[in-house]
Amino acid sequence: MFGNHVHKQLSAYLHGELPAEDARRVADHLRDCGRCRTEFEDVEFGAQLAGQLKREQAPESLWAELEAAMSKEDFSRRRGAEKVEEARSKFGLSWPTLKLCLELAPVLILIGVGIVFVNRYFQPPQPDNRPSWEVTRLDGRPTVGKRQIAEKGRLPLGEWLTTDDASRAQISVGQIGEVKIEPNSRIQLVETQDDNHRLAMQRGKMEAFIWAPPRKFFVQTPSALAVDLGCSYTLEVTEDGTALLHVTMGWVAFEWQGRESFVPAEAKCVTRTGFGPGTPYFGDASAEFQLMLAAFDTGQADSLDSILALARKRDALTLWHLLARTDGEARGKVFDRLANLVPPPKKVTREGVLSGNPAMLDGWWKELGLGDTEWWRMWKGPLPTQAK
Amino acid sequence: MNEIRNEERLIEACRQGDRESFRQLFELHKDRVWSVALHFIGDEAAARDITQQVFLKLFSVIGQFRGEAGFSTWLYRMVVNACLDEQRRRKRFLSFDFFKSGDGLSDGMSLMDQQQAKQFEQKLQAMAQEDHHAQLELSAAVKAAVKELKPKLRMAILLKYFEGLSYEEMASVLGCSAGTVASRLNRGHKELARRLQHLRSEVETRK
Repeated sequence: MFGNHVHKQLSAYLHGELPAEDARRVADHLRDCGRCRTEFEDVEFGAQLAGQLKREQAPESLWAELEAAMSKEDFSRRRGAEKVEEARSKFGLSWPTLKLCLELAPVLILIGVGIVFVNRYFQPPQPDNRPSWEVTRLDGRPTVGKRQIAEKGRLPLGEWLTTDDASRAQISVGQIGEVKIEPNSRIQLVETQDDNHRLAMQRGKMEAFIWAPPRKFFVQTPSALAVDLGCSYTLEVTEDGTALLHVTMGWVAFEWQGRESFVPAEAKCVTRTGFGPGTPYFGDASAEFQLMLAAFDTGQADSLDSILALARKRDALTLWHLLARTDGEARGKVFDRLANLVPPPKKVTREGVLSGNPAMLDGWWKELGLGDTEWWRMWKGPLPTQAK
Repeated sequence: MNEIRNEERLIEACRQGDRESFRQLFELHKDRVWSVALHFIGDEAAARDITQQVFLKLFSVIGQFRGEAGFSTWLYRMVVNACLDEQRRRKRFLSFDFFKSGDGLSDGMSLMDQQQAKQFEQKLQAMAQEDHHAQLELSAAVKAAVKELKPKLRMAILLKYFEGLSYEEMASVLGCSAGTVASRLNRGHKELARRLQHLRSEVETRK
């Protein structure tokens, strides 16, 4: 009786997609087989759930956007047709002559493409007067704009450097450092002046080693600005704009709409679209600590208690940043835990820290053993504005 | 019947290049294209791109529509292809996961530690996910659970429940057999039931 279970046919049975004979056989089987009946209940429940899906209304602005795109396409097509008509009337071509011209068109196009190809790959490029950085090919076929670079090339201002999944490249950042670009990356040179060297990173991974004084080199990611404070670091940006910063030497700051994270060597920081720079943490913090921190940084304030409970002395870096990201009772909890791990100096009071007194926060920072705030505060100032 | 004739009339006018008819055809189908794209990809910006891409393509190739397959089937095939292309494009760029690379764990941790940490993290994520589903309202929970289905199962569910396509129509859109469609729906239903088990009594009372 149970030799032919019907679990594969349950959805088709439910949707009335089985021929009558098969449907009857499934119904008979379900009456007698508890196992298939249980599965059928699951399928039926899953179908009820899926039945809750409701069609959504498309945004009103879609037609306008589409129409604009269509007009562009239509315009190019129509221009082609108009040019044929113009040619006919201008040169008084008869239809058979024009037809012959049209038949020859593919050959002419091929010749044209050949000329473009020769110009592009075998003729010296036109001099480009834009400021540029030297790019060295490390692997594969990196491109600048649409042009593949040979062993060495230039990345002019405003151009994009792109690597595919088998390509790597190295950029010389003026005279101040080097940036290695890993596979599947897309980077634009946005600015290069004496005190302002700026890249925009749309996606991928880069490894920067900068020997200039702090705040000369910037990388704009979709969700925050990475400000070099004299260091070596890796930066990874995903397609959705999330970025992971991992500092291997020195310091880097992440900034977005007034929110800042200072990330020392061996620490990491995630920045997310819509949330900005997350709270920095040391890479050797426990997985649970990191998970709870990610939850906190994405708006789940109730994970704070777990973060505090899991924090080690070394995680004082994280807790210090949390003082500025909490208020009221939550800030009080952070204060107590941080005070427990790294007692504040005498001049730093609970009241002062809870009210956000910057001098007290700086005073406490000095106790963390991560250097003096004055070191990076002295570089703090208005960021160089981006040239238009 | 009138609707079908109206659509045929519109398609014919579009083939003659009538922009107003194309706008009407767009109005007829925009919500379904948008809904499938939005629920398949899960983000509005990408759904907007996909919807625009599909209609732009439709605009340029509607002259080639010969009516052998139904117009909807033809349109859905474009939607499915655009969604799968987007999915593939996204897959090339690994989703962000700062545990996956082992970066945060490898320094000074044994392989065993890393495995335990990973298991722990997976457990936490599963708990967070269940908790997340439990807190959402029914329709939001269903949307979230559908979003987590494997792409092939997700697309089958969307085509069935948004569009009410038959298995044969879905097979034609998805380029597979009706048996494969049945199997994907079966798995999709069971997966949804498993993920949203805690909502069973609520759904039962609504019946």
